[in-house]
Amino acid sequence: MCINKNCLNLTGPFTMDNWLKICLVVVFAVATTGNEEASPAKLLFSKQILNKYIVEGMDIVIKYSLFNVGGTAALDVQVADNTFGPQDFDVVGGQLKVTIDRIPPGSNATHVVVIRPSKFGYFNFTAAEVTYLPSEDAAEALVGLSSEPGQGAIVPFKEYDRKFSPHLLDWLSFAVMSMPSLVLPFALWYSSKTKYEAILTQKKDK
Amino acid sequence: MTQKQKALSKEEEILLQDFSRNVSTKSNALFYGNAFIVSAIPIWLFWRIHFMDLLTSSPLFLIITCLSTYLVSFAYKKTKFVLKHKVAVKREDAISREISKMIAEDKKMNKKEKDERVLWKKNEVSDYEATTFSIFYNNAVFLAVVIGLSFFILKSFSPSFNYILSVGLSSGLIALLSTGTK
Repeated sequence: MCINKNCLNLTGPFTMDNWLKICLVVVFAVATTGNEEASPAKLLFSKQILNKYIVEGMDIVIKYSLFNVGGTAALDVQVADNTFGPQDFDVVGGQLKVTIDRIPPGSNATHVVVIRPSKFGYFNFTAAEVTYLPSEDAAEALVGLSSEPGQGAIVPFKEYDRKFSPHLLDWLSFAVMSMPSLVLPFALWYSSKTKYEAILTQKKDK
Repeated sequence: MTQKQKALSKEEEILLQDFSRNVSTKSNALFYGNAFIVSAIPIWLFWRIHFMDLLTSSPLFLIITCLSTYLVSFAYKKTKFVLKHKVAVKREDAISREISKMIAEDKKMNKKEKDERVLWKKNEVSDYEATTFSIFYNNAVFLAVVIGLSFFILKSFSPSFNYILSVGLSSGLIALLSTGTK
């Protein structure tokens, strides 16, 4: 039995070091390319209200974000938000139902809608829905829900205007109305005062 | 009654008028009219900026405006009385010179008549200046305090409460300040 390196013929290019390197390369290649089946598409869906104040009759901007954390592209992605009824909200810009053909793996897509509430009060902002095919040969579409922004107060326009509007015209009108009560008595007093002070100064000059 | 006594009583009358707190009917009308106008002005602010409904709040507006009118006119009268004497002292010289100049050519007028005329003119001028300055000063303080209270100190209160307190306290404050002797 041959046990020394002469018997194994470990000379020339086939040294122990070289064999080790070759083995490592083969193992690495198998690990990275050996798996032929990628993970199906998986979408993370968030719904955000970008406004600081939600006011009756004023625009609310809603941002929907989709992240594909799977290994395959998500196909026929359909986003639908049925939480804003036409009796309470008007759609000012964008659409509440949108189709995105494809979201590649590791990428994201965003969609923005602008709506306007027609009434004030408390409103529960609930989740929007998304359906998509996780792979090309998927038989069934997957359904997902977005995050929920939660309950928000839609402030009456009067309250908002009272707090934030500069009311420049109203203040100007107030100033115009107050002027006669202030300017007129002052002017009358001042004219009499200057008249008699002038008499005194005239005498002093003489 | 002799002429001298008549003249004296006329002088006394002027002096009494000078030191009296009572105002004439004309002054009263002027004071109440001005007080009503200045008390009604804040209604505009509360209607347009605090969004108080004009129709539903009209009884409140009426009551508070009437109360404020009374207090503001009270302030006018008291302030006028205090100012009148200060103005009389200041204008005495100028008025006597003015009268002297006016009656320089009239040699029939004696010293007593001249003094009487000076006294009357002094009363008239000091009354006029004290009235106008009292109205101006009290209006300015009233409006400034109403704005300060309603938009800074009481802004978190409900509009009705804000109105009652800001107008009520402002008119009360100027009435209180007017009772000072200086």
